Amino acid sequence: MLLGLLATVVGCDKPSATARRLVVFSQCNNAEPYRAAQNKRFEELFATHPEIKFVIYDGQADASKQIAQIENAMLQKPDLLIVAPFERNALTDVMGRAVAAGIPTICLERDIVKPNYTTFISSDNVAIGRMAGEFIVDLLKKKHGEPRGKLVEITGMSGVQGATDRHRGAFEVLNKYPGIKVVHQATANWMQAEAMPRMEEALAANPEIDVVYAHNDPMAYGAYLAAKEKGRAKDIAFIGVDGLPTEGVKYVEEGILFATFEYPLCADKAVEIGLKILEDKSFKPQSQYMLESRAITRK
Amino acid sequence: MKAFSTRHRDLWQSLGVLLALLIAAAIVSPRDLRTGQPLFLTTDNLTNMLRVTAPVAIVALGMTFVILTAGIDLSVGSILGLSAVVCALSLARWHLGAGVSVALAVAAGGLAGLLNGSLVALLRVQPFIITLASMIGLRGLTRSLCNNENIGLRTAGDEAVRFVDTFSQKPVMIGLFVALAILAAAVLRVTVFGRYIRALGDNATASLYAGLPVKPVLVAVYTITGLLAGLAGVLTAARTTTGNPNDGIAAELDVIAVVVMGGTSLAGGRGGIAGTVIGALIICILANILGLRNVDANAQLMIKAGIIVIAVVLQKVRATR
Repeated sequence: MLLGLLATVVGCDKPSATARRLVVFSQCNNAEPYRAAQNKRFEELFATHPEIKFVIYDGQADASKQIAQIENAMLQKPDLLIVAPFERNALTDVMGRAVAAGIPTICLERDIVKPNYTTFISSDNVAIGRMAGEFIVDLLKKKHGEPRGKLVEITGMSGVQGATDRHRGAFEVLNKYPGIKVVHQATANWMQAEAMPRMEEALAANPEIDVVYAHNDPMAYGAYLAAKEKGRAKDIAFIGVDGLPTEGVKYVEEGILFATFEYPLCADKAVEIGLKILEDKSFKPQSQYMLESRAITRK
Repeated sequence: MKAFSTRHRDLWQSLGVLLALLIAAAIVSPRDLRTGQPLFLTTDNLTNMLRVTAPVAIVALGMTFVILTAGIDLSVGSILGLSAVVCALSLARWHLGAGVSVALAVAAGGLAGLLNGSLVALLRVQPFIITLASMIGLRGLTRSLCNNENIGLRTAGDEAVRFVDTFSQKPVMIGLFVALAILAAAVLRVTVFGRYIRALGDNATASLYAGLPVKPVLVAVYTITGLLAGLAGVLTAARTTTGNPNDGIAAELDVIAVVVMGGTSLAGGRGGIAGTVIGALIICILANILGLRNVDANAQLMIKAGIIVIAVVLQKVRATR
């Protein structure tokens, strides 16, 4: 019975006759919208390269699992390894072993403790925060004729670099304007469901709110829903970060968010650099590529 | 004598399943693109696989004792997390030596287990409830100890690096499991304590009237499980070079699955260490081959569920025969 079950699941062996190269992407957790979009983009990009067999391993938000999967991948001696590390400390060693085994290794988005990679591709959350801060200042100037107003900040998980940087960047800008007051600040751990009660609390405590700055789009959307229920959504500008086509971009198009700031999926750059590494043995990538964000605003 | 031979037949059946699974894994394994060798059978893969499973398998040894007494310990995942964090704190923040840190971490696990055992024995509340409470409470304690932060060891000084390099080695992790499995099997088979454990699960009331030291035995099995979960936390910290307050979340379910898979009955009294070792191997081979084939993670969960149900149904068929 065990065998039958096993056979039905893994029986569909597909030794591809044309694929001569193996590219493995170790994804830290498939079960997140940003990650799902990233996987999809990678698959689209590699689909145009029939000579490459592209495989995604799902680390399931567990550092031990991701380490084990990279070890599994190394057994197959891939021509290129791409890693989106779940946790910077935990993944450092195993990535070092991959590099030592001569496997070109691209590290995505999250820096690890030692430069155990061929190249590191990421985007700058502080810069994204700064863009958001500048957008908020302009918005308030338009609304009140001068840079003043009341702001609610809904933060991502505390202690996580992305949240710290998105906060720091925005407040590097906002702190220059004493007229802009933070009336409420709460963490919603990146979750839409948690942003709703936090926003309800903010609404109850503050009769006047001009702007909600949330560290990602789902939280901005959650805050919007809470305000809408109280009939106050029209008075408030909601601003998010990430700009996924299926979330932030859609919310902006629907007039729910004023703006979102794209956190690049890094997939396009990773494939571009990866292909160069595969095709040209003499190609030396830079040690780091920093990708620009862009603002997605209402037309 | 009848019970004895039944147990052996069960073991042979489990071994048969294990062997069949090994052969199946070798057949469906992806092959090395150059040499054509099945990747599953490479030494590297087999030892990778055993190392991955070692922490869960070590805890499962203690859980076998607990389940033999007709108890359950839901707190092992939280104890694992607590010990991983204590170990990392001790190395990275308190700058204690590797030996002291390991001892502290294992002792923290033992203390948690002692607390579980004492409450179960003295208050006579169902172990499910006591250990559910400690699963929740210990997770809170762990997170507050490290302030929700991950504590990295790779950059935390020579002693921390020495610890990582020692305890994450394959011979250490796999060797500890093998040694502890032999020890646990011996304790269960040849010592009086081992016989008490079985007797307690067979019939707790009769054991009490027969003058068995019921309470001390209960305290001991939960303490042993705590110590083993503490050791598993140490190994996890070494393996991930991190004390992560979320380590071991849901690990209790993996541990219980291993024990049940090995034919130990949740009703107590029936089962043993050999079965648990086989259960651990079955689950780790399954996880490894599904991983090598890169089967979708969600599908893996459903397969795991199916396998557990099948194992329990087989057990029931045997028991009523």
